[in-house]
Amino acid sequence: MSTVASTWLDSLLSGHELFPEHRAGCWVNGLRADALERAHALTLPTPRDEDWRFTDLSPLYRLAFRAPVAAGALDAASLAPFDVAEAPLRLTFVDGHFVPRLSRLAEAGGALVLPLAEALESHAELVRAHLGGCVANGGSAFAAINTAYLHDGLFLHAPRGVRVPPVHVLYVSTRADVAVSPRLLVIADAASELVLVEDYVAVHQDTYGVNVVAEVVAGPGARVRHMRLQHDSKNAFHIGTTGVRLDRDAQYGALAVAFGARISRLDLHLTQAGPGARCELDGLALLAGRQLADTHSFIDHAAADGSSRQEHRCIVDDGAHAVFNGRILVREGAQRTNSAQQSRNLLLSDKARVDAKPQLEIFADDVKCAHGATVGQLEAEEVFYLRSRGLSESAARAMLTYAFAAGLVNRIALPSVVARLRETLTARTGNTEIVR
Amino acid sequence: MSQSPGRELLHVDGLTATVAGKTILKGIDLTVRAGEVHAIMGPNGSGKSTLSKVLAGHPAYEVTGGGATFLGANLLDLEPEERARAGFFLSFQYPVEVPGVANGQFLRLVYNTVQGARGREELDPLEFDDFVRDKMKLLEMDPAFLDRSVNEGFSGGEKKRNEILQMALLEPSLAFLDETDSGLDIDALRVVAGGINALRSADNAVVLVTHYQRLLDYVVPDYVHVMEGGRLVKTGGRELALELERRGYDWVAQEARAA
Amino acid sequence: MSTVLQNLIDQPYQHGFVTDIESDTVPKGLSEEVIRQISLKKDEPDWLLEFRLAAYRHWLTLSEPAWPNVKYPPIDYQDIIYYSAPKPKNKLASMDEVDPELRRTFEKLGVPLHEQAALAGVAVDVIFDSVSVTTTYKQKLADVGIVFCSFSEAVREHPELVRRYLGTVVPAADNFYAALNSAVFTDGSFVYIPRGVKCPMELSTYFRINTQESGQFERTLIVAEEGAEVSYLEGCTAPRFDTNQLHAAVVELVALDNAYIKYSTVQNWYAGDANGVGGIYNFVTKRGLCQGVNSRISWTQVETGSAITWKYPSCVLLGENSVGEFYSVALTNHRQQADTGTKMIHVGRNTRSTIVSKGISAGESNNSYRGLVKIGPKAAGARNYSQCDSMLIGDRCGANTFPYIDVQNSTARVEHEATTSKIGEDQLFYFASRGIGNEEAVSMIINGFVKDVFTQLPMEFAVEAGRLLGLKLEGSVG
Repeated sequence: MSTVASTWLDSLLSGHELFPEHRAGCWVNGLRADALERAHALTLPTPRDEDWRFTDLSPLYRLAFRAPVAAGALDAASLAPFDVAEAPLRLTFVDGHFVPRLSRLAEAGGALVLPLAEALESHAELVRAHLGGCVANGGSAFAAINTAYLHDGLFLHAPRGVRVPPVHVLYVSTRADVAVSPRLLVIADAASELVLVEDYVAVHQDTYGVNVVAEVVAGPGARVRHMRLQHDSKNAFHIGTTGVRLDRDAQYGALAVAFGARISRLDLHLTQAGPGARCELDGLALLAGRQLADTHSFIDHAAADGSSRQEHRCIVDDGAHAVFNGRILVREGAQRTNSAQQSRNLLLSDKARVDAKPQLEIFADDVKCAHGATVGQLEAEEVFYLRSRGLSESAARAMLTYAFAAGLVNRIALPSVVARLRETLTARTGNTEIVR
Repeated sequence: MSQSPGRELLHVDGLTATVAGKTILKGIDLTVRAGEVHAIMGPNGSGKSTLSKVLAGHPAYEVTGGGATFLGANLLDLEPEERARAGFFLSFQYPVEVPGVANGQFLRLVYNTVQGARGREELDPLEFDDFVRDKMKLLEMDPAFLDRSVNEGFSGGEKKRNEILQMALLEPSLAFLDETDSGLDIDALRVVAGGINALRSADNAVVLVTHYQRLLDYVVPDYVHVMEGGRLVKTGGRELALELERRGYDWVAQEARAA
Repeated sequence: MSTVLQNLIDQPYQHGFVTDIESDTVPKGLSEEVIRQISLKKDEPDWLLEFRLAAYRHWLTLSEPAWPNVKYPPIDYQDIIYYSAPKPKNKLASMDEVDPELRRTFEKLGVPLHEQAALAGVAVDVIFDSVSVTTTYKQKLADVGIVFCSFSEAVREHPELVRRYLGTVVPAADNFYAALNSAVFTDGSFVYIPRGVKCPMELSTYFRINTQESGQFERTLIVAEEGAEVSYLEGCTAPRFDTNQLHAAVVELVALDNAYIKYSTVQNWYAGDANGVGGIYNFVTKRGLCQGVNSRISWTQVETGSAITWKYPSCVLLGENSVGEFYSVALTNHRQQADTGTKMIHVGRNTRSTIVSKGISAGESNNSYRGLVKIGPKAAGARNYSQCDSMLIGDRCGANTFPYIDVQNSTARVEHEATTSKIGEDQLFYFASRGIGNEEAVSMIINGFVKDVFTQLPMEFAVEAGRLLGLKLEGSVG
């Protein structure tokens, strides 16, 4: 590890003891201590690592973060723009701290929806059985740091057959220079259904850090929908690791949006552990200025009869940079797998850059796999079509740029989330004319 | 044709054009007056679609000679959207799909943009909804098409109906319909042709660009032009289309070469 | 997997004989002394020795690349013979004087050397172990100003040309194997097509490794001056040994304004036996520089042999409107491993590239396509289209696709598509139910699968390549 990175890690971890300690002898302390050791042993990624070739975190390593000692002041009204009306349940975290006053905790139809800090004690056995099961606690430097910091987050457990109303987890940043380490643990037992909105926003445009680990375990026939909205401040650093494990016939549908952050990275690792599992992963990055958004996804078809569909789209303006690395592995024995992956990228400026690397690794012969990647500008033919209907060139371009992204957004079944994303898209693409 | 000739809508004079350095139009002369229906026929590759696109202002084509006026103004000076607003309409052979934009929103935007440019009243979403549903009846279109993305996943016939629906909304003075009959089954052809006929008036004109004459059974042309090698080599009446159907195009080409 | 399919893909290697010819070799191992010896034996000028020594010193600082998707035990670079030449009885004045044993070898290989060469209209340069044995048709080519000779001869006869271009496309320090080659290369082919000349015939080189512990490090350099055109073919075979042999070649192509170089390879080095014992490690660096405007370089490869293949014939598209093409069929069977593909580096404006890759995996083999399409910030209007298809035969093999797409210009357009298909029982049954036997069915399916690449091969090679795939997979392809 370079000295710079090492020093940074020390500074990051120095606030560790400031956390309110759990009751002496709590099992989590051991986990944290192991992870801390692991975090020190692991190398922080640099562009010399193949998986980080295009994402240079040295600006992050130069920052000194403060430990999030307390939640900043925030009134309920300032959260109105982020409200997900369809979600009766909301956990709001301000600067990493759970704020009951800004949350909605209601009866969850037989499911458990509560802050992780509480669950660590009240449901220790369940948490213990699953924590680190999808994202190894020491699997990467960032997962280790997250675990070393493990403090609070979301705990969601849907027992067998239970249908959970939509759950909104809202992370709001109010302060500069704070680093938070949210942890989400979602357990969907057999035949349960749930919808999760994982949401990162800020009420300022300063620098701060988010290093989140989310784990989703879906039992046989469970159905999970997961919207991940990263709309951090434009100077934030956001490192996300999502691990998903699907049992037999489980379904997972996700949309991950990257609108904010100076540098954001999402590692999404999905394993189809049981036969007949299905996943649909959408990704959308809308970047401008000097933003960089890097998505590394890994879909592991470890069982037969699974299907996966992935569509990742990036709109890159100014000097921004989008990175997509989509790995699909079909293991021996994962016969009759059906997998389709598309990476589509729109470059709006001469200084914009895209690096796309779809990967197929196939070790079973009775499979249908395809991937595709395109990088380019708007289709001249499409622009002409709209102009021939009387739209100005700029209106035509704005509409097509908007449409490029909206196609994914429209798949979301939560109208308030769709409306919010459309609003951002409309503002960012200059397509002021089409607002539903 | 029995009435006195209508006002001149389009006058094309010796028009030549290239795409990617290749000359496709080699001198087109064509005059279209209000109240007329023209058919431009010709074999594949004769330049029919190119003529439509050049007149609509497709940026891939370069006009290298000749001229075209539309309602007295220099058509070639106008941007594609200005041509549309001025009343020139092109129904695409392959309408473009715009995933992510609802057809209803698109149609309203198009309608209001052109209405605004013509100094006419724009419609709010509710008014427009009634208005467009009415027009859709003409083309026997299911209102569900308003909620789908523009042309996305539409069948060939549905796309063509959507084109004619746009024509109905934009009320052009001159409509070039490029291969509007291709990909249509007989029922769809009848509906689309019915829509075209319903939109005809003494003030506007239609140019049908087509390979086959079957559309002309429904929309009866006053003039039939044969295009060959980038030129209009023969002009006749309705009967010429029937003769082409019977004899093919070769004899026209030979005649043109002999002349 | 059915026994039918298994039998079809288990055809034995046909070129696995050893020719008993006395060799002149230097002792095993690599050192500055060995390099000096090689250089001395070849009577080379000082600048070339310096080139070699500099490469060697740099090589010492490098380590083997670890990123390819292949696995093999560490190579002992001191356990390789770096120079092995058939001992000539005397200097050859004509084709008839070629050692009859050697000629029989090439007849066994089906190389159209002597009369066959004339009939086929192919000029052939033969590299036997490390030394070029003979070049046919030299005079006819010389009449139009074309130089086609062994690399050693080029160093002697055309030192200024060799010196001007050697290492300009693949620098000696480019990568581990290129550095090794630059240090120890013993021979190879040299082609120079003068301005405006269109080479009147296909040029062809056959490479053969014969000695058990020798490595082969040939060096090919092709220069096409303004408006020149040439189509160049290479074929490779080796005897069966139960040890692995290293083949680390470097090929450099330079195309000036409006020049066109077409480079076709049919690679059938010994692949090892069904258990993965023996076979060639084929670690080669091939790169073409489209230096001039409107220049074009086209790589076509049919890779069926070698235990391990590591090769990425690439194009650097520098000249405005230049064109790079890569057409590849890579077939792996048994324990073979292939990590092959291309790099298209778009530097100049309106540069275009096309990639068509067809991978066929059978047995327990592992076949990876790895390709880079890079559009630099100044490559306005650049276009790339890539199609990478994999076919799996059996459920114990692997097919991987690793495309890297890096675009830094918004006016560029890059499209990549990949699909996977298989030959399965269902398909064979379907064919059978229509009266088509299994062999023929496999042949038809494979032929259809590789068609887009085979149409790029010169006629003589397409036939040979079809035969090779047939030998590899079943009896009646083509």
